[in-house]
Amino acid sequence: MPLIINDIYPEKLFREDGKRLDGREKNELRPIKMEVGVISNADGSAYLEWGNNKIYAAVYGPREVHPHHLAKPDRGILRVFYRMATFSVFERKRPAPGRREKEISMIITDCLEPVLFLELYPGTAFEVFIEVMDADGGTRCASTTVAALALADAGVPMRSLVSSVAVGKIDGQLVTDLSGIEDKAGDADLPCAITWFNEELSLLQFDGDMSIEELNESLLNARNALDQIHQLQLTALKSKYTSILEEVEGGED
Amino acid sequence: MENDELESEELDEFESDETNREIVVPGEVLTEDVEHFNPGRGTLLNKDKTKIIALNIGLKQIKKNYINVIPLRGFYTPRPGDKVIALVIDKNPVKYKCDINAKDTAILKPKNTVRRGKIRGSRNMEAEEFEVGDILVAKIISADRLNMPELTLVGKYLGKKANGIVISIDPPKIPRVIGRSGSMIKLLKNLTKSNIFVTQNGRIWIRGENIAYERLLIDAIKKIENEAHTVGLTDRMSQYIESEKQKRGIK
Repeated sequence: MPLIINDIYPEKLFREDGKRLDGREKNELRPIKMEVGVISNADGSAYLEWGNNKIYAAVYGPREVHPHHLAKPDRGILRVFYRMATFSVFERKRPAPGRREKEISMIITDCLEPVLFLELYPGTAFEVFIEVMDADGGTRCASTTVAALALADAGVPMRSLVSSVAVGKIDGQLVTDLSGIEDKAGDADLPCAITWFNEELSLLQFDGDMSIEELNESLLNARNALDQIHQLQLTALKSKYTSILEEVEGGED
Repeated sequence: MENDELESEELDEFESDETNREIVVPGEVLTEDVEHFNPGRGTLLNKDKTKIIALNIGLKQIKKNYINVIPLRGFYTPRPGDKVIALVIDKNPVKYKCDINAKDTAILKPKNTVRRGKIRGSRNMEAEEFEVGDILVAKIISADRLNMPELTLVGKYLGKKANGIVISIDPPKIPRVIGRSGSMIKLLKNLTKSNIFVTQNGRIWIRGENIAYERLLIDAIKKIENEAHTVGLTDRMSQYIESEKQKRGIK
């Protein structure tokens, strides 16, 4: 029995009570759950649930580069492999990496490179594998966030973490953290990422139309959301160790 | 006591008094008082020189006027003088290639494998031969960022290991298995009646009286790795081993 899902965009993206279709306020994030150290064979790993997005990230390295001609003699390289599972979207996704996967892999690489000390590891590669198990809008932002978490868990020296969120405009109103349906039916979509050591934007893409004033306001909204996400990242990283600490100290009393 | 040499070199930073139990993550501000503190290991002074930030996930440590971060996760970087457990992965007439758990494979030349006691250059000098898959305890004689590290087998306690078990743990947690001036390793040796050789690349060679002791020891080392950032680990380990001995019925 094939599963048939009606993928028709609704006419309005706001409910009658002024909230969004999933019951959120304009600047409210979807529920986020983060966990590190989920894949035992990887050097570092992380898992993220962001609304309906479910994403795994695994980090290996520094290790030899294959194919060897990609290796740089003066510095290491960062390679990101963003892939979507075939069952992650409504219609079966063909497993071969397409244009979209290659683009997202590239933007995540460029986004994460400034926080790493690649010049200390010449001739080697850090490899980040991101597997999207379930997708519902904003996977590039979620992937960037979880990749930074996995790198930190692997013990790779980093200047800071990287957080990312998408802001945009739906039905003429500015909102934070667009879901899949808002992304497709909305007016504008603006994914952005921040590197916390210099508080500069490391990723900024734009799709749709928006005035300059709206853009500035959107970026302010994004900044508030990024602060929240950063806090969640910090707690997720620390909780791996603090949970053991509490367990041990609780046992002594 | 095969680890005597190593113990004196190692200082247990985890147990040191200056070590704060505070867990820090990359990018976290350690202090904004840059006049009184200097950035030490695992830290960075930001470009405006206003604050010191952490680079690793680890424990914050203040030593005199230096702020360090003792990493809890990380990889092994070879340094000259380190003792490592190497696995022979390739062999040809001029060199062996060894996996030492670092980003590069290490090289072992036959001239560095001359048997102990023989005088180099003499007629009956004999280089020992190894096969792919052999486990060697070796010392690093040269290592830098660009070239492959080079190993030697000439020295005390170095050579091929014919028996025992090799287990791997996170390299940054090796000092914890050794303990302050070797206290933890002595405890493990005495309580489990085993021989242990700990090396800097995160590999530990163990050999006990029987398989029950070896299993207990492996569990104990995994517990140390898991709880490396907690206080009073040595006492807790002795309790753990004693209770496990009773549970498992080992004398």
